[in-house]
Amino acid sequence: MLKYVGKSEKRVDGVKKVTGYVRYTDDLKLSGMLYARIKKSPYPHAKILRIDSSKAEKLPGVKVVITGKDVPIRVGLYLEDKTFLAIDKVRFIGEPVAAVAAESEEIAEEAVSLIEVAYQELPAVFNPLEGIKPDAPLIHEDLGKYKHASIILPQSGTNISNHYKIRKGDTEKGFKEADFVFENEFYVPHIQHSAIENHCAIAQVDPEGKITVWAGCQSPYAVRRTLATAFNIPLNKIRVISPAIGGGFGGKAGTTLEGIVIPLAQKTNYRPVKLNFKREDIFVNTFVRQAMYAMIKTGVTKDGKIIAEENTFYWDGGAYTEYGVNIARAGGYASTGPYDIPNVKADSICVYTNHPVGGPYRGFGMSEIHFAIEQNLDIVAHNIGIEPLKFRRKNALKDGSSTVTGQVLENVGFVECLDKAAKDIEWDKRIKKVSATKYRGKGIAGMYKAPSMPNNVGSSAILKINEDGTVNLLVTAMDLGQGSDTVLTQIAAEVLTVPISRISIMTGDTDCTPYEWQTVASRTTYCCGNSVKRAAEDAKNQMLRLASLKFGISEEGLELKDGQIISKIYPDKKVKIADLAMGLTMPDGSGVHGPIIGRGAFIPPDVKDTDKETGQGDKPVAFWTFGVQAAEVEVDIETGEVKVLKISAAYDAGKAINPELVCAQIEGGIVQGLGSALFEEMKIEKGKVLNPSFVDYKIPTVGDIPEMKISIIENPEPTGPWGARGIAEPCMVPTAPAIANAIFDAIGCRINSLPLTAEKVLKAIKSKNK
Amino acid sequence: MKHKIRFTINGDVKEIEIEPNKTLLKMLREDLDLTGTKEGCGAGECGACTVLVGNKPVNSCLMLAVEADGKEILTIEGLSDGTSLDPVQESFLKHNAIQCGYCTPGMVMSAKALLNRNPHPKEEDVKEALAGNLCRCTGYQRIVDAVLDTAKKRGKK
Amino acid sequence: MKEFEYLKPDSIEETISILFQYGQKAQILNGGTDLIVEMRDKIAQPEYLVDIKAIPQLNRITYNKQDGLNIGATVTLNEISNSKIVQTNYPILAEACKTVGSYQVRNRATLAGNICNASPAADTAPPLLVLEAKVNIISLVGEKMIPINQFFTGVKKNVLKKGEFVTSITVPPIKDKWTGAYLKQGRKKDVDLATVGVAVVCIRDEVRIALGAVAPVPIRAFKTEELLKGKAIDEALLEKIVKSAIAEVLPISDIRSSKEYREEIIKILLKRAILQAKGGHTL
Repeated sequence: MLKYVGKSEKRVDGVKKVTGYVRYTDDLKLSGMLYARIKKSPYPHAKILRIDSSKAEKLPGVKVVITGKDVPIRVGLYLEDKTFLAIDKVRFIGEPVAAVAAESEEIAEEAVSLIEVAYQELPAVFNPLEGIKPDAPLIHEDLGKYKHASIILPQSGTNISNHYKIRKGDTEKGFKEADFVFENEFYVPHIQHSAIENHCAIAQVDPEGKITVWAGCQSPYAVRRTLATAFNIPLNKIRVISPAIGGGFGGKAGTTLEGIVIPLAQKTNYRPVKLNFKREDIFVNTFVRQAMYAMIKTGVTKDGKIIAEENTFYWDGGAYTEYGVNIARAGGYASTGPYDIPNVKADSICVYTNHPVGGPYRGFGMSEIHFAIEQNLDIVAHNIGIEPLKFRRKNALKDGSSTVTGQVLENVGFVECLDKAAKDIEWDKRIKKVSATKYRGKGIAGMYKAPSMPNNVGSSAILKINEDGTVNLLVTAMDLGQGSDTVLTQIAAEVLTVPISRISIMTGDTDCTPYEWQTVASRTTYCCGNSVKRAAEDAKNQMLRLASLKFGISEEGLELKDGQIISKIYPDKKVKIADLAMGLTMPDGSGVHGPIIGRGAFIPPDVKDTDKETGQGDKPVAFWTFGVQAAEVEVDIETGEVKVLKISAAYDAGKAINPELVCAQIEGGIVQGLGSALFEEMKIEKGKVLNPSFVDYKIPTVGDIPEMKISIIENPEPTGPWGARGIAEPCMVPTAPAIANAIFDAIGCRINSLPLTAEKVLKAIKSKNK
Repeated sequence: MKHKIRFTINGDVKEIEIEPNKTLLKMLREDLDLTGTKEGCGAGECGACTVLVGNKPVNSCLMLAVEADGKEILTIEGLSDGTSLDPVQESFLKHNAIQCGYCTPGMVMSAKALLNRNPHPKEEDVKEALAGNLCRCTGYQRIVDAVLDTAKKRGKK
Repeated sequence: MKEFEYLKPDSIEETISILFQYGQKAQILNGGTDLIVEMRDKIAQPEYLVDIKAIPQLNRITYNKQDGLNIGATVTLNEISNSKIVQTNYPILAEACKTVGSYQVRNRATLAGNICNASPAADTAPPLLVLEAKVNIISLVGEKMIPINQFFTGVKKNVLKKGEFVTSITVPPIKDKWTGAYLKQGRKKDVDLATVGVAVVCIRDEVRIALGAVAPVPIRAFKTEELLKGKAIDEALLEKIVKSAIAEVLPISDIRSSKEYREEIIKILLKRAILQAKGGHTL
């Protein structure tokens, strides 16, 4: 009987947050702090001829001015293609070319305006389909020289920074054998995470040369590593502290402005430097979601079995694709969606353009490809006369199915999710026409996702038992709002049999909290959860050993229950955790062992590389999460406005460690998905972002929310803690295609690009009526 | 030229000399160390900077600090007294209406202002009151539930 | 924001004196919801900021049957939309005020500010146009009253000269029974700028029409109104009306909407506004 796991325990950080007490990076004020601003490129692609910062340096109150030559080392997570300030040339409008630290933001801003930069404009690329042409201007001439992870395959001499391939079976044969072959194209634009907290970083260098960085970051250790590389500093001389984070969604993963404050702080005579991005800066200077063109060719039999599929994805990676290359890869190894297709050819190609930098966004490629995949399925189903839900069930991945990489799956809850989501939206009940101008429709979309991470990255946890039996839990998994602090505490509580209130979690300090690869990929409950479980078990085992020594009973005869080690047979033989916390005192007064420190580390087991040519591999990922959303919409056929009335969502979480928090995540994911479906689009013209503010980049407000019905399915993931797998990203993925499919059901119009604006819908209605 | 202004902040009278080209938001955060009120956009679009001025919810990023002269200001820090939470705050916790917490102070202040002026709001009143507070994490439903629940509980008392 | 001097006069006399003295260097601070954003973005850089909110006469709403409604310059949009007087006597104005920005913005933004900002998409403009409001302006030279349809002179431009400021807006009484509607189309239902705004007032046989966000200024569609005079509304006439209205405006394609979509929406909103007004609650 589980006591804490599986319960909807209250957030451990709720009171801090609801009182406004918790500090985010911009809330921190250090004494002597200086303020930084950046000088940005006005051109999408240009050589830097000359930078003259002399006027800026002379401005009273200015302490430091730096340019690219001060930060020359190339860095990147999967491909080292970026520098924190531009060197020799700029590759997107807004790229930082210089930075200033001054006594106030106003002075820094004025100093920035005094820096003179001479550019020579170069022809630019604004579309990946243009970027792959043989005569396209090269954005990274030295691509062939860049260091990269072995899983990434950049094509030297081109704008292609990764080309991931799947060659499964024989698609040529498959298409010949198919009764019908369909080809469809789709497009998703760049969008922005729009976390409400802005990006902010502070750096300070001490007289011993140790650098401390405060930044709300999803990945303090990744930031530490990148900064150490960029500045040629040993890891023990950089400390990254992440205060509370006001939303990440991938936008605070990786390293962005942290690399600008350090070279400034190195020249300020030990004064800290803060760089705060305004909302306009965030749109242009932090990660955006890559835009993507998808071409899908589907070969299907007349009774509805998909037997061949060819997927081509062209990703608009932006000016630097150090992160985007892996998104293209993830798109590749998930390219068919959660369906069992024997013959698959996929090419997922990441292309440089002179657009803002593409990077991780909740879903890591899954939202983008599923918009294409799930609409494509509906189109095919309608064309061959098979009901879309039935079509999905027929082709769904099930236990024993093999994925696009040839991995054979178990514990697949996809069909169960389809059935539940369909039931909750009352799939078979349709009210088509509400009035002369309002039509309704229902649509469904499935998804799957695996954590996209290198096979060998790990998590760890340290657990200290205090003298009074309370616990300090140290991890570097970051609570971005998803509730990891609470869930990890629940896991520790369950193993140690100690109430949640007696466990305090601390996160986000690379000097004190142990290694965590990143808080991304929906991996935290699974990876760090397993680490915490192991750390608690390690502490428990130490205490069992000591109790065994104390009582002379073998460890097998003892158990940890209600905060005590107790004999299974002799109930009077018991000792509290508190009395073992500092070690054991023997009857003769001597002490044994010392303080109990539980250590746990975890790497997902047996995850291997795939073949470079065919993309085949029998376990390329740690686990797959399946989910489904169904939408009911109402379309005003005179204005094209779409109102989403209801969304039902069913996700196979394996084991919901905290069911309320899982539901809360899913609700948030649905609304974020709705935003990408109906409103969100970065309008970029010749490289310039035209709508870098909430005035013209609209995200959902409270008036936009549909009725939401959430279901959690639990088919355990055997390697997850109590069977848990991640749902943080999956819950945003199918919303947009579910809505698009519902629109088709309502008005018979297919819109193959996002967002599904009223204008596009009306245009589609009018074309159909012609 | 700095102006001397006098106002009440969270029940305390405060006198301060402040430059005119500073927003109320910046003064709260930088001069008074009340960092609970947040800057999400600086342009009146996100509501993270919502405070009550004379019991009315406003975007403090759109007010100059000097305009606070003679006014009564309430920020998130003024809602609880250090021993017990305001019912709105209790309700947010109960309904799990908080994730990253960044929009929370602004949301709570808008909700508080609504319940002050309309103790029995309908769902559409709640949505109108909160339309200017952006949240990216929660999907809003629990926030609406929390506000309606607070009103219901109040009604019972 | 750049440095400036902040002045807070407590009388109209003092205000017009200051405005005369500083000319181009001075700007009025009223609700601040447009101006402070412009100052933050360094689009506006006044050397003198004149806060008029301490002037007592400016924060009143008064009404009587003979003179109509008078709304002082510092009255906020929430005060207007919550006012029983406005709700009862000029419901379309109360409704339009409610569609501007968020609740927080409406606690600061003012009617005078909305029209002085003179965005082509100003939500209060179409209702004020069909209600034939008048803008009361004062300067050292004296007072004058400008009809609202002469107030807007271009995109974000109004008729005010340096030294002048708006003290109030008068909405005249309508002697007959009348109905009206204000419909706004945005990219989202709440907290968005209008991509098209339509206001209609029906007084017996007269129909007044005003359109926002589809021309450099919010405009009265006088030619279109002529077509409607004395005629019964039927489908054929509605078709004629919308065609005529489109010919009177100049919608553009911009970041919010395309010209073609705006034209479609004008047609739909205008039809709906007329039908709603015709079938609506009479005063």
